[in-house]
Amino acid sequence: MNPWEFIIVQPLTNLLLWIYDILGHGPHMFGLAIILFTILIKVITWPLNAAQVKGAQAMQELQNDKEWQDIQKKYAKDREKLAQEQMRIYREKGINPFASCLPTLIQFPIIIGLYQAIIRAMAATPLDMLKLARTVYPFQNLENIIPLNSKFLWMNLGQPESIPVLGFALPTLAIIVALTTYVQTKLTMPATANPNDQTAAMSGMMSIYMPLLLGWFALNFASGISVYFITSNILGIVQYASTGRANWRNLLPGGSKKAPAKK
Amino acid sequence: MKTKRLMLFLMLALGALFLGACSGQPIANNWPGLAADAERAYLSTGTFIYAVDVKTGKEVWRYPAEADNNTLFYASPALTEDGRLLIGSVGHTHSFVSLDAATGKETWTEPFLGAKGAWVASPLVMGDAIYAPNTDGFLYILGMDGKQIAEPIELGGSLWSAPATDGSLLYVTSLDHHLHIIDPANGISSDPVDLGGALPDSPTVGDGGVYVGSFASTIEFVTPNGSHEVLAKASNWVWGTPALDGGTLYYADLSGNVYSLDLASGSQNWGVVQPDGPIAARPLVAGDRIYIATEEGTFYALNRDGQIVWEKETGGKIYTTLVLSGELILVAPYQAEFALAAYDTEGKQAWTFTPEN
Repeated sequence: MNPWEFIIVQPLTNLLLWIYDILGHGPHMFGLAIILFTILIKVITWPLNAAQVKGAQAMQELQNDKEWQDIQKKYAKDREKLAQEQMRIYREKGINPFASCLPTLIQFPIIIGLYQAIIRAMAATPLDMLKLARTVYPFQNLENIIPLNSKFLWMNLGQPESIPVLGFALPTLAIIVALTTYVQTKLTMPATANPNDQTAAMSGMMSIYMPLLLGWFALNFASGISVYFITSNILGIVQYASTGRANWRNLLPGGSKKAPAKK
Repeated sequence: MKTKRLMLFLMLALGALFLGACSGQPIANNWPGLAADAERAYLSTGTFIYAVDVKTGKEVWRYPAEADNNTLFYASPALTEDGRLLIGSVGHTHSFVSLDAATGKETWTEPFLGAKGAWVASPLVMGDAIYAPNTDGFLYILGMDGKQIAEPIELGGSLWSAPATDGSLLYVTSLDHHLHIIDPANGISSDPVDLGGALPDSPTVGDGGVYVGSFASTIEFVTPNGSHEVLAKASNWVWGTPALDGGTLYYADLSGNVYSLDLASGSQNWGVVQPDGPIAARPLVAGDRIYIATEEGTFYALNRDGQIVWEKETGGKIYTTLVLSGELILVAPYQAEFALAAYDTEGKQAWTFTPEN
């Protein structure tokens, strides 16, 4: 077994199956297990998410800082000097430029692992079933656990979801995934008064690309993944809202141009 | 700014590629399916089904002409008496096709696309009907022209193996631990029989009932009225269909044990017979030999006493059941240098087949 399997995929798959086993294997329970599993992972990674939010806010506040804006204007044509001044101002204000991206990088393997754990647990082919048998720890009663009951509400978690509406297959989950991703991205996107704010511009692009990307995944992949995306997005929104800094105005057209209320 | 946008786009594209590569769904994978008649072997592996001349080991035809990632084939094709090959796809389209075994040409005007899940199981032809179990939990009933002739029967779970028949009833296994006994005359299924573990392969029909191996690590005998009893236990999951030969039942488990059960006395004919690895393929009984294939890629000829007569390594892993064609034993290893090989009953290799691009 390779290190990735051993350290990430195997523990996460076993955790998911353990939750499913506790819930009692019945209809809808695998979907519920994915939701509880996502909540548990979110709770464990809560400090990382909080650090990311804090780091991003510090960077954003810097973009609205008068001194930094003056420096940007002053050294607009001298990139080397601008970089030196940027490092100086980071030091003076106690900002760690990696504080916002490092937690994301640490979480990335967990997200990929979660995804693989869900796919592994659903064992779509005989070969996948053999892999699952080798993944599960001896204390789990796999004979009783499998096959996973992949029915959840109206969907089969092992297949892409759609609801027939007037002869058209409406991909409900893909739409919800895209919407919740959009809401989460927009809420966490602070308003800015600085027209040269590249961070805000990047966030703006993310708020378009990410919903499309995750919506595409939801459209084409097993709906169990969509349940994970939706739960994760909702928890992300709740977590950010709990800080009191959620920028609800961003959800309205043109809302991102207004400054958020200071708490 | 343009550079940053480009970087962001590339990052998202790479993320999409990475996640896509990690997923199981779009690149469904499995070991090959294999069937044979006296003239050709039929190998379903990924984007193609190959017909291979059993005398020469040369490709006769392949289907489809061009690879299509939406139609991946891993089920063992079912051969009909009128020279057709029936097989479903694991790919996104879930197509189920009928091919002329001699030419590889489609014999239906269009494939059957009515299933919601992948086709892992082979179908069974009984009379003028095709009984095709699907991973969506339904048993589809088609006419020989590929049209549905009856409403599909919802059995539940995921159906991975071909139905077995005693000539009057159908026996269909499901991963949800249940054996379903269906009267094809009216499509009525009696109460499903819970065998305590997933049932990944077909039952074996015997006198007065069927023998079924399961992930409960047991061999059970089930009568047409649904009564059942455990005949024997194994050390691990029994994946492959047991092989019945007279009064002896041969089966194997994922711990790599091979068993020979005397049905009259209920006792094992031999002690521990354990080749070199887990066994998912069905045992093949031919003449006075029992052929066993292991995950380690070795296949063995055992005599009736459980002694190894000869063994051959393939360099891959063997999960696909060995198939007999005339005097040749066909083996389709997974992840080996060749896709198919033929051996005579003394273990001498006749040919190997590796598909050309």
